[in-house]
Amino acid sequence: MTKQAENPPALEIEGLRFRYAGANDDVIAIDGLTLAKGEQMLLTGGSGRGKSTLLHLIAGLIEPREGTVRVGGQAMHAIHGAKRDRFRGRQIGMVFQTHHLLPGFSALENVMVALTFSGVSRSTHRDLARKTLNDLGIDRVDADPGELSVGQQQRVAVARALVCGPALVLADEPTASLDPEAAAVAMDLMQNACREHGAALLCVSHDPAMASRFERRGELGALSATTVGGGVA
Amino acid sequence: MAIGDATIVQRSMSARMFSTVTTVALVAVSVGLMLLLLSMKDSGRKSFERGIGNMHMLISRDSSPLVSVLNGVFYANPPANPITWQEFEGLRGSLRFPLVMIPTQQGDSYRGRPVMATVPEFFTDFEPVQGEPFEFASGEAFDAPFEVVVGSEAARAAVLSVGDTINLRHGGPRDPDAHVHDEYDYTVVGILEPTGSPHDRALFTDLTSSWTLHAHDRRLQEIGPDAVTTPDDLVDADKLITGIYGRAIGRPGSSGPPAYLPQVLVQLRRNPSFVVAEPSGEINRLFEIVGNIDKILIAMAGAVMASSAIAIMLAMYNSMEQRRRQIALLRVLGASRARIFRLVIVESALIGLIGAVLGTLVATVGGVVVAGVLEARLGLVVTPSFGWQLAGAVVGATVGLAVVAGLVPAIAGYKTSVVRNLRPLG
Repeated sequence: MTKQAENPPALEIEGLRFRYAGANDDVIAIDGLTLAKGEQMLLTGGSGRGKSTLLHLIAGLIEPREGTVRVGGQAMHAIHGAKRDRFRGRQIGMVFQTHHLLPGFSALENVMVALTFSGVSRSTHRDLARKTLNDLGIDRVDADPGELSVGQQQRVAVARALVCGPALVLADEPTASLDPEAAAVAMDLMQNACREHGAALLCVSHDPAMASRFERRGELGALSATTVGGGVA
Repeated sequence: MAIGDATIVQRSMSARMFSTVTTVALVAVSVGLMLLLLSMKDSGRKSFERGIGNMHMLISRDSSPLVSVLNGVFYANPPANPITWQEFEGLRGSLRFPLVMIPTQQGDSYRGRPVMATVPEFFTDFEPVQGEPFEFASGEAFDAPFEVVVGSEAARAAVLSVGDTINLRHGGPRDPDAHVHDEYDYTVVGILEPTGSPHDRALFTDLTSSWTLHAHDRRLQEIGPDAVTTPDDLVDADKLITGIYGRAIGRPGSSGPPAYLPQVLVQLRRNPSFVVAEPSGEINRLFEIVGNIDKILIAMAGAVMASSAIAIMLAMYNSMEQRRRQIALLRVLGASRARIFRLVIVESALIGLIGAVLGTLVATVGGVVVAGVLEARLGLVVTPSFGWQLAGAVVGATVGLAVVAGLVPAIAGYKTSVVRNLRPLG
């Protein structure tokens, strides 16, 4: 068994092609991209260039025209239906521009919901969710998300993305709705949390200020021509 | 503890509290109406069957057998055309078969409750419910004039007990010309146990005192306001009855009517001045008439049920528009399409279940209210009740209907596009 098979990258993309129904050109055309375990990468690109679409492809929410996406060594599109959904719930955490917290659920329950679909032992859900929130500085775990500040809501969203111990966190314009100061705090939080949990982070953004936060950066359009990756960490 | 489907469904319902409550209320009203109609239908028939008891025939001079039964047994109105005591004795003497004949007379009332004058055998030979004779909660049957026995419901409503003195009203409960006879005090000598029949709301006294009451009115006109009337002043014209409860005596131990009953009826019907009703047959005929109304009411209740199912579907479907983002998020978190479908179906079923259970309570409370109104307005003693089998069947059907109603929104949830609904707000 090779070293890579024993310890696969968080993300591997090979020959990925995607185009919208009726379109003549691919909006996503990535020959190769690898993200090592725990690695963090910023992917930039203008509006409408397919940044969110790429994340949806990686999460298995849409089907590529061709190519392969592997998360933690598992080819995402080779599994189907509920199996893929469960795999996504367990191996991929997602953070959005708007935090998408579930209304009517407390902060703790918002995090626990992620565990509901993950296959993680049910008896551990509450403690695990509470610990993750506490680690991220949320003490009022029973508060309604509406009672929390925007920054605290962001922490809850990050806790939810990380609670299942995913191989990969996908962040879709995570600071677009925040002012620069809050954005910096949120990014610090997310990047540190991913490091502590050993999760790789792929962040897409059109915010130029984000560039300095990532050692590894890529522009979506440029990925089409070249294979990018740091190989196995 | 983990978050399960039940919590997700419960939170979803709480988040749309107004919609959930109004939909549940609509289902509850529909189920309550359906159960109430079904229980009233059954209890109405039972109530009528209980009233006729072990009577085989009712002889009167009413306009038809059905009217005779409604007046003579269910106290709908005092019968208008009397039978003289001489005619009664002539009839009794002419029959060649063993027959219990209990003369009755109606026309008086007490505080809106009918008074039936009869003979003491009414309490021993007539059973208001087949196999269940009258029983006294206190006291005993009258055995002298101006004594009165009170039905359980009448005693409760008028707060009467043994030893009380009352004055009867000459005239039926709805007779505008009725007047109270203060000059004749009646003593309550017995209170009956409830029978679940119309007799519970009646008072019973002996024929002689009733005749004396009526004779006094005659004598007031003949003699003047100083007239004093006693049973000794009665003349044949005063001795009138309005009905005869008849029972053909069968062999000891036999529960059904004796084989000679048809011959008795034929003999009685030879005299066209009498109306000879077979109460059980008349009740069946009555329910054949009102049976169609029952069907219409049940069809209406069914339509209300169907509309409540549509309401569930619309409420759930409309909520889908608000919940697409939530569904998309659950999908991202690992919920499968099938799980989303199941969550919506469970929510719909839960709305149906809560509505159905509340509807059962509505029917129970509503039954008491409707029974009270029916008794107060129509004098019909109805005890609406439904067994757990009927309630269970209606609840089950409601949940089934709710599941069907949930299919369309569940399919909408199943098809919800994750990508489209995770776009940033605004």
